[in-house]
Amino acid sequence: MKRMNKLKKEYDDIEIPPELDNLVKDSIQRAKNTKKKHSPIRNWSIGVAAAAALFVGSINASPTFANSLMNIPVLGSIVQVFTIETLTMEKETYQANMKTPAIDGLDNEELQLALNGKYIEENKALFTKFEEEIARLEEDGSGHLGMDSGYEVKADTEQILSIARYETTTAGSSFTEMQYDTIDKQHNILLTLPSLFKDDSYIGIITTYIKQEMKRQMEEDENTAYLAVEGADVEFRSIQANQDFYITADHTLVISFDQYEVAPGYMGVVTFEIPSDILQDALVGDTYIQ
Amino acid sequence: MFKIEEGEPFVMTKNKKMEQVEQFLIENQNAHYRLAYSYVKNKENALDIVQDSIFKALKSIHSLEEIKYLKTWFYRILVNTSIDFIRKHQRMTVMDDEVLDGYLPQTEDEPTDIDLLDALDTLSPDEKSLIILRFFEDLKIDEVAAILDENSNTVKTRLYRTLKKLRIEIEKGDLE
Repeated sequence: MKRMNKLKKEYDDIEIPPELDNLVKDSIQRAKNTKKKHSPIRNWSIGVAAAAALFVGSINASPTFANSLMNIPVLGSIVQVFTIETLTMEKETYQANMKTPAIDGLDNEELQLALNGKYIEENKALFTKFEEEIARLEEDGSGHLGMDSGYEVKADTEQILSIARYETTTAGSSFTEMQYDTIDKQHNILLTLPSLFKDDSYIGIITTYIKQEMKRQMEEDENTAYLAVEGADVEFRSIQANQDFYITADHTLVISFDQYEVAPGYMGVVTFEIPSDILQDALVGDTYIQ
Repeated sequence: MFKIEEGEPFVMTKNKKMEQVEQFLIENQNAHYRLAYSYVKNKENALDIVQDSIFKALKSIHSLEEIKYLKTWFYRILVNTSIDFIRKHQRMTVMDDEVLDGYLPQTEDEPTDIDLLDALDTLSPDEKSLIILRFFEDLKIDEVAAILDENSNTVKTRLYRTLKKLRIEIEKGDLE
């Protein structure tokens, strides 16, 4: 077994990079956080309650409200998104670049205020987290950390405004989270996924489609990997009732998954366009999705 | 009659289980990294695999039924993630310089034990798993079998064949 001992020695001599320790602790923390965020039962009920409240609210307001809006055809295009605040930090091994979006011109000031407030709060919290993380790294000696956040307007039409916000943390390897807000500019409401459909049959319809699509993409390109495969360590079972989504300018629903949610890390954030015709029967109407 | 194994709580709360898994991940991080590294031979990718495996593990923590299977359960995730990674990235594996030098034509005839250094790399990922788990990580045949989802006899036969391929003479008891 002399050769074996030599091989084992070589194995034991594999150098451990100093960043491993932080990476492991970080990954554990993040895995626990994403778990909490996606706790299905809690999110479900909040989603449904919010959707119900928004609907009742908009129906009550709508007859006069909708009429008055229709007389001002340009109203939709007045709504705009701009960068209100940019937080940056440039130190040798620490970089942060955080852009906070703000919406202007929505008729429903309460909604606008709530959204803008949320954006500012989130970025502040992120920056504080960044500073804390640096302090922790400094205590251990030194380290590398980058945080990047910003937004992208996915659709801006007469009817809807879809904003995507991303948050990327880099420490050795990177992790990206995406969040979306889709607003009906004419009725001034924030859309939730359940509110687009008659009942929860959409969960099954969309899940089935995405599973097929994952398989198709994997067969087509062997560099594509999803966890859809039966027997995978974490098989993709179903979308959440309030899965991240946005709506494109041409009325297509896009479902989004955070990095690591349904695919190995190197696939990044993955999105699926859902063909409108398979949703037809489940939709409340064709206002948003056609 | 219930039989309670010594030193192990019979029922474990979710939090307690999480704590134990976390502790295990932190304490054994070096071993996990080495295992991943020996498949991909590259620091960045090995770190990625460790990270991916932790995510997968904690997201599917419910699939760990008894804490005594913790090690085999996590190694299985780690090995599968590594092998998956190699498959997806076969065409674009980044090599460390040292490894690369081994493939470049040699300018001088150095009498190194190239044979041995590269021996492991001539093995398929599955054969590698066998050698690493049994001899480098010192796991029992049964544990190796559980990680690779094979029965013990198959593992023994394949180990025997792999050792022969590596031209390592087998001593009595090595395969037990």
